Amino acid sequence: MSDRKNDDLMADYLQVEAQTRRQFVGWGAGGLGALFMNSAMAAPAPHGDPTALNFVRDPSTPLSVLPPQFRAKVKRVIYLHMGGSPSQLDLFDYKPILKRFHGQECPQSLLAGKRFAFIQGVPKLLGPMFPFHQAGKSGAWISDRLPHLEKQVDDLCIIKSMKTDQFNHAPAQLLVHTGDARLGHASLGSWITYGLGSENQNLPGFIVLISNGGTTANAGKPLWGSGYLPSVYQGVPCRSAGEPVLYLQNPQGVTRPERRQVLDAVDEINRHAYKEFGNPETVTRIAQYEMAFRMQMEASDAMDIKKEPAKVLERYGAEPGKTSYANNCLVARRLAERGVRFIQLYHWGWDSHGTPVDEGVNVGLVKRCKETDQPTAALLADLKQRGLLEDTLVIWGGEFGRTPMWENRGGQEMEFIGRDHHPGCFTLFMAGGGIKHGISHGETDDLGYSITRNPVEVRDLHATMLYLLGFDYRKLNYPYQGLDQKLTGVKSARIVSEILA
Amino acid sequence: MADFGPGRMSAPAYLACVALLTVLGLGVAMWAHPAFLHSTLQSIGLEAVPRAAPGSFYAVRVAPLFESRCAGCHGETREKGQLRLDSFAAVMRGGADGAVIVPGDTKASELFRRISLPPTDDKAMPPSGKTPLTADEVTVIKLWIAAGASGEVREIKGAPKPVMEVTIPQSDPATVQRRRAPLAAAVKDLQALFPGLIAYEARDSADLEVDASLKGARFSDANLAALSPLAAHIVRADLSGTAIADASAPMLATMTSMRLLRLANTKITDKTMEALAGHKALKSLSVVDTGVSDAALEPLKARGVAVYGGSHE
Repeated sequence: MSDRKNDDLMADYLQVEAQTRRQFVGWGAGGLGALFMNSAMAAPAPHGDPTALNFVRDPSTPLSVLPPQFRAKVKRVIYLHMGGSPSQLDLFDYKPILKRFHGQECPQSLLAGKRFAFIQGVPKLLGPMFPFHQAGKSGAWISDRLPHLEKQVDDLCIIKSMKTDQFNHAPAQLLVHTGDARLGHASLGSWITYGLGSENQNLPGFIVLISNGGTTANAGKPLWGSGYLPSVYQGVPCRSAGEPVLYLQNPQGVTRPERRQVLDAVDEINRHAYKEFGNPETVTRIAQYEMAFRMQMEASDAMDIKKEPAKVLERYGAEPGKTSYANNCLVARRLAERGVRFIQLYHWGWDSHGTPVDEGVNVGLVKRCKETDQPTAALLADLKQRGLLEDTLVIWGGEFGRTPMWENRGGQEMEFIGRDHHPGCFTLFMAGGGIKHGISHGETDDLGYSITRNPVEVRDLHATMLYLLGFDYRKLNYPYQGLDQKLTGVKSARIVSEILA
Repeated sequence: MADFGPGRMSAPAYLACVALLTVLGLGVAMWAHPAFLHSTLQSIGLEAVPRAAPGSFYAVRVAPLFESRCAGCHGETREKGQLRLDSFAAVMRGGADGAVIVPGDTKASELFRRISLPPTDDKAMPPSGKTPLTADEVTVIKLWIAAGASGEVREIKGAPKPVMEVTIPQSDPATVQRRRAPLAAAVKDLQALFPGLIAYEARDSADLEVDASLKGARFSDANLAALSPLAAHIVRADLSGTAIADASAPMLATMTSMRLLRLANTKITDKTMEALAGHKALKSLSVVDTGVSDAALEPLKARGVAVYGGSHE
């Protein structure tokens, strides 16, 4: 055995000995990451399908704009999710016959074979809690709880025949926001930023704004998670009070040039690591640090509603410095103007069981309406006035509907007026480009219990949304675990042609 | 032990025997499957196969319904109740219990009875758990039976309007490449010069979109003029908040394919509006927060352009 060889062996041995377990595990993970990223970022290879769309990007600009599959009707989406699910029967889906049977026992035919979240035995029917009237040129029925939205009613496409197969909040919210009731799937905003990128490279392409902090998202962060898509496409929660993004600003005493120096040093180390391991995730990491640096300027400006004229603040009912749905609506418009692709608002607290007072249809729901009615209407009017509504899609809705029965949790009448979860039908409205406005789509029966005309599945809504953004829902896919994953899942979806303009 | 066969029996007796058994067999088959006779006669060409005429109400409205909602269980792969609903002949033939359609009589038609049962009924079709037919779908079938269950009739009064399904635009990459080719080099150069500013409108399109709104004051008249090789192919331009002014009017005048133009919060005036007079494709124009007067916008509004902004604000 030559000395040369001995030296080599010795060097190898020393190198192995010098490795700590942590390093080994770290490299292992890095290596796996590199393998994953090579398959995920570099080229989700079109396996055999010559029409498969290619979403390959330079890893240093993961949010760069890619054109849609075909000409899109809208460029961006503002999704106003009313967490907990508002009662369609007290806002949009007017049922005078249900009113006539108010207080009577629910007929057995509606209960047979059904499972409810809380209702037991035979509940009583619960008529609409508020007066309804027809509004606008379209004559849409609307309750007196939404006096501001009423003025925009001719801009709305109200779908009264939404249905879901989930009757608990978390899975139902996951279904609405990720296309699947189970964890692990990519959210709407992730799919869309993956497919289209985002115009503004100084802001995340998918921003999440949350209000009514007293309650939290039932399904939590997976609602804006990227699932199997690269993590750079996940939603970034921003705050409308205080610093917009936590830990984004420099710590006290650190100047911007100093921050720059730190970043330059970190970038250098990362570039070195990239040279050594070739993991594209490292390049993405560098890109993310750089975006965060640019965001220090841009995000603060975008979120700063103090820059709006007083009359605009007044229209929205926005008060700078607070966390509110009104502020978030105004921020949403500012983000839309700045080329953010997907803007997700969550306003919690619509769950109207009638258990605590704030969950009463006659109390909590009224409060939520007060918090949201004016800002929603102001956002629609503002987008319209600026010409942005014609290439923006605004969606408003909860995760399921409410029962036409008075909830009787544990077989007992509730102290306050409440309705149970109801997956059978719910109302959602859209406004914006590419869809008819001033129409209602779908119908429910006289008690507002079952859909009688034009049912719309959640996946149909998703397919329609993707169509408006310029994608065939079958083509915006991502190979993972042997399946071309799609927002709409494995079942076939239908683009709701009746509502397209 | 009974002795059958040509050696032990006279030929006529043997033939009679065979004939008897054949008739018996056919009888049993017909008893078990009433459509057997027709389907056999049709398959050997002794009976004309009833067909629906292309363009008939059946072909356009009813057949697609049966195909999409019923043929999964009543079709080529499965024949529940020996009923197939994947051809006009099979629909008219019926299943194990006989005809399911009685022309002109919805009440006597088993198919109609089953689709109009409440979804919870054991006999309801599609069965419980499957999506029930919509009210419109039931009406289409009802009207067709009532009008004689014909394969010829083209129109039936009172039928709900057909639902148009969306067709996804299909494109051939080679065609797209060919259409892009004349400008491809110029597009590439200018995209390199203005990163993130110019994009194809879609993967299947040779038309371009320009968004300079994020550049703000850093985007000038001269920058816009630099895009002139592409001018005729720009269908969408967002120049909001940029430094462009009336000096860009001649350039804007050459962008004749434009459908959407945003000039909000710029220094342009009525003069630029004149440059847009010949833009037949223009559908949407924003002049929010500019000095443009209502009078200058009037001709555009008159020809149906959606105009946002103007001096009245």
